[in-house]
Amino acid sequence: MALTETSSLTKDYGTVKALDRLDLQVEPGIIGLVGANGAGKSTLIKILLGLIPPSSGRASVLGLDVVADTHEIRKVVGYMPEHDCLPPDVVATDFVTHMARISGLPRTAARERTAEVLRHVGLYEERYRQIGGYSTGMKQRVKLAQALVHDPKVLLLDEPTNGLDPVGRDEMLDLIKRTGTDFGITVVVASHLLGEIEQVCTYLLAIDAGHLLRSAPISHFTQRTPVLAVEVEEGADRLVVALVARGARAKQDGARVLIALESDALYDAVRDVVADLALPLVRIQQERGRLEDLFRDAAPASGIVQ
Amino acid sequence: MTAPNPAATSPAASSPAGSIYDLGYRHYEGKRNGRAYAMWSLFVEGLRNVWGFGRPMTAKAAPFILAGLYALPAVFQLAFSSVIAQRVATTGQAANLLDYHSYFEDFYYLVTFFIVAQAPELVCRDQRYQVLPLYFTRSMGRIEYALSRLGSLATALFVLLLVPYVALFVGDVLMKPDTFAAIGDELPKALPSIPAAALIAVCLAALSLAISSFSPRRAYSAIGIVAYVLLMEAIPAAIYSIGQSGGWAWSDKLFLLTPITSLIGALSWLFGQPLDPEFVSGSLTAGAYLAASIASAGVFIAVLMYRYRRMPA
Repeated sequence: MALTETSSLTKDYGTVKALDRLDLQVEPGIIGLVGANGAGKSTLIKILLGLIPPSSGRASVLGLDVVADTHEIRKVVGYMPEHDCLPPDVVATDFVTHMARISGLPRTAARERTAEVLRHVGLYEERYRQIGGYSTGMKQRVKLAQALVHDPKVLLLDEPTNGLDPVGRDEMLDLIKRTGTDFGITVVVASHLLGEIEQVCTYLLAIDAGHLLRSAPISHFTQRTPVLAVEVEEGADRLVVALVARGARAKQDGARVLIALESDALYDAVRDVVADLALPLVRIQQERGRLEDLFRDAAPASGIVQ
Repeated sequence: MTAPNPAATSPAASSPAGSIYDLGYRHYEGKRNGRAYAMWSLFVEGLRNVWGFGRPMTAKAAPFILAGLYALPAVFQLAFSSVIAQRVATTGQAANLLDYHSYFEDFYYLVTFFIVAQAPELVCRDQRYQVLPLYFTRSMGRIEYALSRLGSLATALFVLLLVPYVALFVGDVLMKPDTFAAIGDELPKALPSIPAAALIAVCLAALSLAISSFSPRRAYSAIGIVAYVLLMEAIPAAIYSIGQSGGWAWSDKLFLLTPITSLIGALSWLFGQPLDPEFVSGSLTAGAYLAASIASAGVFIAVLMYRYRRMPA
């Protein structure tokens, strides 16, 4: 069954059109919903949750209509909002247990699920402390836990890595990936950071100004010749010349040199050339064909940042 | 940002069996209750919330101190009931005791403080900390939310109001030599306390929650409740006193808009007592005040529901 289908879905906020005749059909998986701030990501998620009604058009989640079957949908979705949503003077366990009960879990089951889910998101002894004393990373984990506690079929995460430092971000993305792949829960991750989507998602939906930009499995974007990026402090131009002389396909990109990684011998070539020219090497890194390259053409001014 | 994180799998996820300590994620196959259960859960949470349970000690201070002060006079009378009974027996004078019908009239300001402190506590926090979307994406509609919150505060108020009535009843019974006969005597006098407490509880809960729901800031909500109660008591009184000299016959009808005076009038009807001229002026009957109180509760409940229907989430 399709995760979600929409047809000419439109949402008007007075003069502003947040969504403009959006047509979608998405299968379950880990779906990345990407777009700049204000592109309509949150609006789409809120419509799918039945929090706000569409102005016109139709949308469904797992075959349930968002207007007619709101209550059915709410039994099967978990929602992690973008904004803070935790009262500071409540203990994390109590809060998540309460939310489990609001989702209909009996008292004991709510307690057990809470303990399990908090352990899953990586909160152990801290879970008996008041949320107000938590770091941003821990708060995001509690937000994820409350979305997972009733074991939803679909998880809607709105900017789950908001405000996290790089380590916290990687941990959160790892958590999302595990939730999607190991538990078989369909996850929709809204983000304005393409790099994150690239890391965890299997399917990509890009919207811009309420319009659908792209909708395809992520492999469509990334199945290309691997690229080796060599960053040097200076002499990138000389490096390109020397590599091209050895028969490699290389081009300069600022301080970096991008090389088509056609064979493993290329690593040796790079090493030799850098050593011969005595270049100050910063890093060598393998890159996949990256989403941002594709967006650069499609949405030049959309404000999507890497 | 770099290429995909190669370490993006946890040890538990990468080994197929997991470790013996980690049972892995298990799906929940158990029972799922419906919306009535969700409402009940929210009601219980709200009731705990009003009294500060599950929250720091500071959250318990205001409700317990105010409820304690409100019950204190009745509890005192209960504690000294034997002394009072002796004095009545020896001197033959009737003691001037606290009465069911005038108890709220004497100490209503403590109940007002209670709603000023606790109604914002109940609804403003959910708005301020943006918890509402978490409720509204679960088995909890907006109307159900509003009704649960109303139920919590009304129940808390009902308990607060009933405790001194019970204390008065027990005290009055203990003052009499024949306990069983005393229960029979006192019960008809005491029983209207139950509808009286219920009426006050629903009216004040509806009023204070409706006003609180308009601001996420507790302070503004508290000021709003105080301002409403004071103004709606003062303005009709002022117009009435002007109207008396000006000969405006209609001016006492404005007392029907007062929140507290109307309740005091309504209690006179419930306890079958004459209106106390000290509190209630004009030619209106106790029955009219009862009707006004019930109507105001209805209006405020409607406002509360309207507000939550329109609340952006």
